[in-house]
Amino acid sequence: MLKYVLKRILIFIPTLIVVSLMIFGLSKVAPGDPVELRMSGGLQTGDTGQASDKQQGEKVYFEIAREMGLDLPSFYADFTSRAYPDTMYKVGRRYEKEMLGRLCSKFGNWPQISTYYKSLKVFELSSYNIPKTEQTFDQLLNARATTNELYREHNEDVILVKLNNIKNSVSQTQTYDEVVINENGESDTTAVTKNLLQPLIANIDGVINNFTAVQQNAKPINKFIPKITWHGLKNQYHRWLFGDIPWFGKSDDPTLASYGFLRGDFGYSLRDGRPVWSVLKEGLAITVSMNLIAIFLIYAIAIPLGVYIAVKRDSLFDRVSTVTLFILYSLPTFWIATMLLVFFTNSEYGMDFFPSFGLGLDKITPETSFFSKLRTLSYHAFLPILCMTYSGLAFLSRQMRGGVINVFSQDYIRTARAKGLAESKIIWKHTFRNSLIPIITIFASLLPGMIGGSLIIEYIFSIPGMGNIAFGALLGRNWPVLFTVVMLSSILTLLGILVSDILYSVVDPRITFTKKA
Amino acid sequence: MAQQREELKELDQSYGAIVKRQFKKNRPAVWSLRILYFVLFIGLTADFIANDKPIYCKIDGKTYFPIFKEYLVNLGLAKQAPEIMKITDWKTVEFDSVIRPLIPYSPATTDYYNAQYVSPFEKQSVQSSKFKHRLGTDDIGRDVLSGMIHGSRIAMLVGVLAMSIASIIGIFLGAIAGYFGDNRLKTSRIRIWLNLLFLPFAFFIAFMARNNLMMDAFGESLISGSLQFIWSFVLFGLIMLIPNLLAIPLKLVPFFGKKINIPLDIIVNRLIEVLRSIPGLLLILAVVAVFDASIILVMIVIGLLGWTGIARFIRAELLRVRSLEYMEAAEALGFSTSRIILRHAIPNSLTPVLISIAFGIAAAILTESTLSFLGIGVPPDTITWGKLLAKGRVAPEAWWLAIFPGFAIFITVTIFNLLGDGLADAIDPRLKQ
Repeated sequence: MLKYVLKRILIFIPTLIVVSLMIFGLSKVAPGDPVELRMSGGLQTGDTGQASDKQQGEKVYFEIAREMGLDLPSFYADFTSRAYPDTMYKVGRRYEKEMLGRLCSKFGNWPQISTYYKSLKVFELSSYNIPKTEQTFDQLLNARATTNELYREHNEDVILVKLNNIKNSVSQTQTYDEVVINENGESDTTAVTKNLLQPLIANIDGVINNFTAVQQNAKPINKFIPKITWHGLKNQYHRWLFGDIPWFGKSDDPTLASYGFLRGDFGYSLRDGRPVWSVLKEGLAITVSMNLIAIFLIYAIAIPLGVYIAVKRDSLFDRVSTVTLFILYSLPTFWIATMLLVFFTNSEYGMDFFPSFGLGLDKITPETSFFSKLRTLSYHAFLPILCMTYSGLAFLSRQMRGGVINVFSQDYIRTARAKGLAESKIIWKHTFRNSLIPIITIFASLLPGMIGGSLIIEYIFSIPGMGNIAFGALLGRNWPVLFTVVMLSSILTLLGILVSDILYSVVDPRITFTKKA
Repeated sequence: MAQQREELKELDQSYGAIVKRQFKKNRPAVWSLRILYFVLFIGLTADFIANDKPIYCKIDGKTYFPIFKEYLVNLGLAKQAPEIMKITDWKTVEFDSVIRPLIPYSPATTDYYNAQYVSPFEKQSVQSSKFKHRLGTDDIGRDVLSGMIHGSRIAMLVGVLAMSIASIIGIFLGAIAGYFGDNRLKTSRIRIWLNLLFLPFAFFIAFMARNNLMMDAFGESLISGSLQFIWSFVLFGLIMLIPNLLAIPLKLVPFFGKKINIPLDIIVNRLIEVLRSIPGLLLILAVVAVFDASIILVMIVIGLLGWTGIARFIRAELLRVRSLEYMEAAEALGFSTSRIILRHAIPNSLTPVLISIAFGIAAAILTESTLSFLGIGVPPDTITWGKLLAKGRVAPEAWWLAIFPGFAIFITVTIFNLLGDGLADAIDPRLKQ
């Protein structure tokens, strides 16, 4: 038995690896830049400001990227074409990575592309050295905006058009009044026509030359040659799972900050920078306890109900309840939840019996007595738990009825009847235990459904549970939170399946998991 | 005497005919099938039942068929007449003569006079009873009945296409797992090695090196993108031919030619086990939510995660069929393995898979409506049942939005469940007793 359990737990590992790879891969292909999400509201790298501001903005960006481990390669190894550089992950922003990737797969000459990219960066930075005045403002703004567009542009024709557009923009002269001190020591204003953006022209010419070099030295053959790059253990996936702080011994390196998922470090929420665990803690407690109550109710009601219906087989009660249970089972949870919400939680229809959202946790203070706490909670949780219960209840009762009826037709029941045993003894002692077997397997299939189902119910009733947190994280692409929720619910599901398998053998001694020799 | 002949005739019939007869005895299932035909009919003809354009109209002596023309326009075969293009509000146009659809509203038509949740029983400001919103309107005056009619098309499309994807994967994997089991697929060592070696290479050339090309093509249009994608598949297949051709002479070398067993059954079963222990809805949500909303993506994701049930059914069937005599006969005749599987084994084990497909369609429709209820995965201009229901949640005063779309989901899901039950009973009548 112990061996079996251990074997099952071993099977957990590949499953969890697959889940973690799926969700990790998803976070890599999904649009959006996590660093910018984290930064939003913080320092903006806009079109205004001085060169130092711009550099500061870049520095903060890379600082946060490093903190989140995003400056590392994504995975242990890369399988790319030879056109791609090994160090692509060092390019900060996501759209720049994509732009460079597209250029690489078109021209296949990274050295030239890299020169072009760097000269574009130099040009942008040097544009911040030109004092922004009334005269230069429009030209500078145009040049910087177009440069920012170039960071996303991979079409060669468009790139050239945009580069020439910048060149035209910076080559224009401005006419303005300049205060000149003449020989007599008097200040005099004269109209001057001059280009204040003169220094930029050389820069942009350099960029244009670099880009034509990219076009001329294209090596498209490179993209047909595959290449595997090994990045080693210093990568994002490894860091997320195992952390970068050594498992044994101490490290003085202050740049290492993560303990990794396996050591209970789930990272920080992108939305508010709080540790994921503290975001999830309460939600998890709410979801798990509500699910446990629902599962308890399902089993507590469905088992006796199923037995009762089976005993009254072929009566009117049986037929009515079979149909009712089937309908209940088929009713979509989110429809019923919406209906209950619409009809029983607002005064529109005069049936305002229940609160429309939340669990009333804000009404509970440490001084609240246990009884009134219970009252508040059950008042708020009644409808959600009803929604979580009814469908599983209907399903389980149907199964239980089928199971009992199946056992009733067995020979040993007829024998028991022939012996003259009391009907109640036949039902509870002989039939019940044997008809439990299918019921227990259902436990395993109930669990994943409940985790998904509670997401909908929590969403509809605005309960701050794990499902609702996960949904918010999904919409906001808050990956650390999402990783954790998906992994935790997978683990819960696996445990549920394991428990039901073990119970299976407890109920039916004929089922053993050890191989007979 | 006549009765006896009848019975004999019944005994004569094939397995399929027996199943059909058993199925017909199941009244709920038969009724479900009728309702299903009805829903399918509505879904197929939704454009002609609920549309703000007329089916036929005559303006200034000229006749038009705007809805038919719309199909041609969408296919890129024709252009809508300019005088028709100009019309934005079909309700107010003066026609010489006109035949309008039963419900003269498209799901996206906004009726400003009846905006802000007009109840079906309330007095509506419409020109005639023909234009009454029979199931009320939503916040911006869109007709709920029209939305529901067009929603049936999306529901059916998602259910059927998602399950088609799932069936293809499930039948393929289940069949090879069931037919070959753990020790019937033996192949030479060199073939395995070469295939493993060429697999990443073929993938690289066919998909990664052509990535740029495909992305540009998809940017151009969906059709040229899909074409490039199919080309990539063809290329992949062609490259994978190389190792298999190479293996033919090479396996004559004794070391390379050593037969190795591939435990397909274990591999497929592990895969199923892994997929089943993933919280499916959460994963579907995650995949669909992070990309641009598209019905096709929803279908593909549901299909890719929903094949396990079908695979299990067909695997069990093939395990049974494999040991039957006609399989032995087919092998003795020297038919190729692929021919035996495709022509002899699979067709004889498909019937039980129908059960799984019926339940699968119900689940797919439920998943799709859950997704659109949550407001993800479905483009903003597409009206689905789930989306209408979601409006009911926000506007409690509009009870019709809470009741009708949900009821449609309920009915559709239930008929597929009943069909599944009916099929299960028909295929194995013992289960019923």
